[in-house]
Amino acid sequence: MNEIIIAILRSGTPLIYVTLAGVIAQRAGVWNLGLEGLMIMGACATIVGIMLTNSIVAAILIAILICVLASVLLWFVIDRLKANPIIAGLGLTGLGLGGTALAVQSIFGSQASVTAPFGIPKLGPAFGAYGVLSIAVAAMPFVVFGMWVMLRRTRFGLRLAACGEHPFAARSVGANPSRMRLVALAIGGVLVCHRRGGTCRRQPAVLRPGHDGGSRLHGLCCGHLRRFPSGGGHFRCAVLRRRWRARYPGAIDVRRQDPARPSAGFALSRDCLRRLAFRQAARRREGRQLVRRTQGSIGRHHEVRATPSDPGCLHPGHRR
Amino acid sequence: MKDSLVTVARSLIFVAFALILCALVFQFAGYNAPVMLWAVADRAFLRSGAIEQSLRWALPLFITAVGVGISFRAGFFNIGAQGQFYVGAICAAFAAEAFKGGPAFLVIPALIIAGTLGGALWALWPGLLRLRSGTDEVITTLMGNFMAGLLLVYVTSGPLKDPSGSGQQASSRPLDAAYRISDSLGISPTTIAIGAAVGILMWLLINRTAFGVLASLAGRNGTMVEWQGARLWKLGLSSFIISGALAGLAGTIEFMGPNGRIASGFLPAHGFTAILIALVANLSVVGTAAAAVFFGGLASAALYLPIMAGLPAAAIDIINAAIALFITARSKLVDQVLRLGGRPS
Repeated sequence: MNEIIIAILRSGTPLIYVTLAGVIAQRAGVWNLGLEGLMIMGACATIVGIMLTNSIVAAILIAILICVLASVLLWFVIDRLKANPIIAGLGLTGLGLGGTALAVQSIFGSQASVTAPFGIPKLGPAFGAYGVLSIAVAAMPFVVFGMWVMLRRTRFGLRLAACGEHPFAARSVGANPSRMRLVALAIGGVLVCHRRGGTCRRQPAVLRPGHDGGSRLHGLCCGHLRRFPSGGGHFRCAVLRRRWRARYPGAIDVRRQDPARPSAGFALSRDCLRRLAFRQAARRREGRQLVRRTQGSIGRHHEVRATPSDPGCLHPGHRR
Repeated sequence: MKDSLVTVARSLIFVAFALILCALVFQFAGYNAPVMLWAVADRAFLRSGAIEQSLRWALPLFITAVGVGISFRAGFFNIGAQGQFYVGAICAAFAAEAFKGGPAFLVIPALIIAGTLGGALWALWPGLLRLRSGTDEVITTLMGNFMAGLLLVYVTSGPLKDPSGSGQQASSRPLDAAYRISDSLGISPTTIAIGAAVGILMWLLINRTAFGVLASLAGRNGTMVEWQGARLWKLGLSSFIISGALAGLAGTIEFMGPNGRIASGFLPAHGFTAILIALVANLSVVGTAAAAVFFGGLASAALYLPIMAGLPAAAIDIINAAIALFITARSKLVDQVLRLGGRPS
């Protein structure tokens, strides 16, 4: 029985770390298809770091730095250059796979597997049969709980979910979706790097160029399936707005009342925000007719811009 | 500058940017970047016989990429071209076993039809799930790639296994020479005719039929198209099926042409490269042909670099990946530079 549990922990822990990275990116509204590239980059950086510095701590720090830099590159391409996140993510994966092979060849002169003299410490004989697991496997439940607390019980998590689900509404209440995406991708980079350290850096640590095919896709799917239902974001925006109003009085109303700050076309009133946030609930409760009347009212009195492809679009050109 | 020219110029700028980035990476890795890029260009296009080799790789890529472009135009992110390519080849291989000994003028069309249908069917279920249940097609088609890859492993090591194989890579029994549409070089009048026919038909479908126009509109604003009375699910399902059918056709051409058999995990980056080609070409058929030749040249060069020039084949992977990273970018700065003196974007 112990062998089965150990095998499950060994093979399941990588998926959990990758899933966490996928979940946090998904919550920020980014499809992170570059996870596999990040993993292989982190692995390569760790192995090279071990061999160059002879220290696991320094190696992991180097890997984290590389993964975070790659995540920032992905964020820059997606958010600043407005690239398609799926294609850019696949590109990052290819960059990781190809770059790793190139790095291994240029550093070690061969594309064969590279073996480091040691890896991450194991739990040790004090844990009996489970002592063969690495400390990253033992840390996994705590990391998962920490992530749950961060995403579900903190202002950051609430803001992240609101930015991912409805960036338009979140921006209108002062949140910066772009920054939140950057933070989410950077955290994902750290987690993915950590995932490599947890399970694949066994004794001795081995790096095979092209390793890890498919793991990030499992993580991505897990993250996708755990995504909160649509509509929840509206509620989160509403809750967020109430909390911020309590903590920062006037933060919301400034945009409505100060004509010197038109917010680049996002002049969104409190009434409009409330109607946006509760639009789906209103649709169920009072029916389609009421929603039409509500949107018409908003369109007459306020300048609101949303994506024209949104069925609930409030674009000035779509006034009824 | 015209919008179409701006789009082409933007793609070229980002491809150039990606190549510069690659050159920096190569230089940083200790290689001579100009020499490496020159070797790639030499092996891909400049040396005698290079164009034929590039066309050998470009043809299947072009057919798959045109299909990918059709589904992208309709607003559906069918990234399962790799799986549809594999299933097309598998179906053609099974049909070859079933019709073994038949006359070539009947068997060859039958194999092509079987492969095309196989690819279409493999694209059908993600399309149905997407349009009936709202399942995300990115997830289903991605997972479909893995399923098709494992199916290929199964059939090449099971029902279609070549007992005389070396054992290093499982593969099917070789196709009879009478049913081959090209030799191992991969270019023949038949394959070129198939590629040209696909290009012309798809260009007509996209630009000269109601389906093409409506599908393009649906990709931009599906809600509006539905309001206009078009049936979005019909457009979407058709685009999925056409996309899969073309990927299956490409797999069949690989099977009946240069490969002559299917092997476990053959051409693993075919689908991804086809997606890249479609995006580089901005989903136009003519642009896809040009981009396919470019990427076919890169694929051809990748085979020669390690042997002839002592350079790592990973260089080509990095070039492909860097282009993928930047090709869909929409920088305001670039647009403003390209529209100097023109109307605002």
